[in-house]
Amino acid sequence: MATVVTSYEPTFWDKLYIPALFQGLMLTLKHMFKKKVTIQYPDEKHVPPEGYRGLHRLNKYPDGRIRCVACEMCAAACPAHCIHIVPGPSPWEEGKERYPVRFDIDLLRCIFCGFCEMACPEKAIELTEIYDFADYSREGLWIDKAGLLEIYELTKDKNFYDNSNEE
Amino acid sequence: MPLIKIDDKEIEVEKGITVLQAAIDERIEIPYYCYHPALSIVGSCRMCLVEIEGMPKLQVSCNTTIGELPPERKKDGKYDMIVRTQTEIVKRERENVLEFLLLNHPLDCPVCDQAGECYLQDYSYKYGRAHSRFLEEKRVRKNEYLGSNVIINHNRCIMCTRCVRFTREISGTNELFVQARGDVSKISIFEDKSLDNMLAGNVIDICPVGALLSTDYIHKNRFWNLEAKKSICTDCSVGCNILVYSQNNRIYRLNARENHNVNGYFICDIGRYGFHRYEDAEKVTSPLIRSDGGFKPISWEGALKEIYEQFSMSMSGEKQQIVGIASPFHTNESLFMFGRLMNNIFKDKSIIGKLPFIEDYEIHFDSGFRISKDRSPNRKGLLDFCPNLEDEILQKVKAGEVRLCYALDDGVDRKLDEEWESFFKSQRFLVVQTYAMTPLAKLAHLILLGPSPMEREGTMTNDQGRIQWLNPSVSLTNKTRPDWEIIMEFMNTVGKRELKYTSVNEVNLEMGERFPDYRGRTFFKIGYQGLPKKNITTSRPSEGRQAIQ
Repeated sequence: MATVVTSYEPTFWDKLYIPALFQGLMLTLKHMFKKKVTIQYPDEKHVPPEGYRGLHRLNKYPDGRIRCVACEMCAAACPAHCIHIVPGPSPWEEGKERYPVRFDIDLLRCIFCGFCEMACPEKAIELTEIYDFADYSREGLWIDKAGLLEIYELTKDKNFYDNSNEE
Repeated sequence: MPLIKIDDKEIEVEKGITVLQAAIDERIEIPYYCYHPALSIVGSCRMCLVEIEGMPKLQVSCNTTIGELPPERKKDGKYDMIVRTQTEIVKRERENVLEFLLLNHPLDCPVCDQAGECYLQDYSYKYGRAHSRFLEEKRVRKNEYLGSNVIINHNRCIMCTRCVRFTREISGTNELFVQARGDVSKISIFEDKSLDNMLAGNVIDICPVGALLSTDYIHKNRFWNLEAKKSICTDCSVGCNILVYSQNNRIYRLNARENHNVNGYFICDIGRYGFHRYEDAEKVTSPLIRSDGGFKPISWEGALKEIYEQFSMSMSGEKQQIVGIASPFHTNESLFMFGRLMNNIFKDKSIIGKLPFIEDYEIHFDSGFRISKDRSPNRKGLLDFCPNLEDEILQKVKAGEVRLCYALDDGVDRKLDEEWESFFKSQRFLVVQTYAMTPLAKLAHLILLGPSPMEREGTMTNDQGRIQWLNPSVSLTNKTRPDWEIIMEFMNTVGKRELKYTSVNEVNLEMGERFPDYRGRTFFKIGYQGLPKKNITTSRPSEGRQAIQ
């Protein structure tokens, strides 16, 4: 059975529109005294929570060796095919015999799904909280091994946007 | 013929074959490591255990032969043997065997080159238990070099001894042996020897795990990135069947491919590592013309115009001679087109010659594997398609005549002796079809850019008269044109023909029309295993069993 839809028939009071106007203005007035949610970016930066999926990094062992063994699991798991690895024998005596000679990520292709860190058997690749890495060229958004290790140095001890210690 | 039953399948088999072979032939999967159809049976891995009715314990299927029972003792009234491969006890046994194999295995699949094509990985996934109960320290040993091209990782080894049996039975060189017993046993090499025989690379192929590694491929790529193309080796006239693994038009490794009429299961190290020769060659990237002592790039149209000017002038002139240098490194299709160009267009003005054949010593192994003395892949085809080939072209060419020369280059970096060099230098115009700057190409006036051996497509005839498909493993680069197409353009320009072949298949069909030996030998028919020429019956009978692993 079809349902009969009756439209709302405004009363005389509704047709005045004045009370509705004041209702709206009251709401605006209420928000004027509330805590502001706008962030004054870029003077002030949003601090993302734990588990945020931003720019990648390559982790190191405490002795400075790269954790990555160039198994290409991340490249295989990547749905955007943005990880490019060239493996080679590692220069270190101890530890794993294989390491990445080149490790490039095309950030323009990356969709920040985090599959790479899930696939990694060595906990070598991780997504950090860094979200503002715009650049003027496409080449600038191609991050290499040195860049990824630099990100590790920047983010290993503290949240990248957390300035509380410095003040 | 005995009738057996494996699981629910009734199979009639030859008397005397093993249960595992019967299962493989019927495509019933029984996991195995130590069994290899080319090697003797040891039954050491215990992975192929199956339940056989009437036998008190599980049996190794690779070493249990099938015989015929007298009629009154037949199982269920008609079977000679009833085999079960999927019962609870068999499954539990496989789990236990795998747990033992993995006791000292490092499980370093992420850094192992075999990952992706590893049977320990596959079977653990399929038949193994998900976790290990072994809490003790794993045995750890250092990697060792067995030969200049083979490294052994003792930790990954599961002691199937395929490699040991290979050096004893196939290469006959006896370098490897099993040292010590029990859990300290390992594959070792005799102190005064090293694994450097001509077939050494095959131990890497037959190793079911990642214990034997090639120095050439170690830490280079992952298996799943590579694309495998079925092709044939072009390093000698045997024409071994190979698999070419490549990624992004770069070749990473070659593996042997089964063909019982040609090479069996193996290939030699000359062919296995031969592809590096083409990588290292100084590549030509565009057709080149000589100018002021050097070369400068020229378009294909320009090159053809140059050919027209030089060669069609000779068509009208009187005292000119056209020298064609054919090459046994080219496919039947391009040699066929070359023969047509020389014999049908230049007719009696032309003379076809060749550079001296490349010959080396012949190697025979007792197992039947051979490396031919003739190191050019298609000498048979060259003689078939250029029947008027002059052996002593240096003596035959007449002095004092203006000579034009069209040479198909071997593409092998070999030094020309003085006689040949002065012969090529005396040509008024020398066209060389090549892909690399070989000594011959350096003498050319015009270089036509042909494909490299890994880019060629066509058929080759090996020294047994077997026609096989040379399948291109990397695609043609920008300006390269197939050999047959360049010769076709040559014919169209100089001979005013209107040939319009669009693919090598059409050339192949035309070739079959004109040469009865090759009739019906199309790519579709010869397939990946090849077919003998029409008037030849195979000299070596097909033998050996297929391995599905």
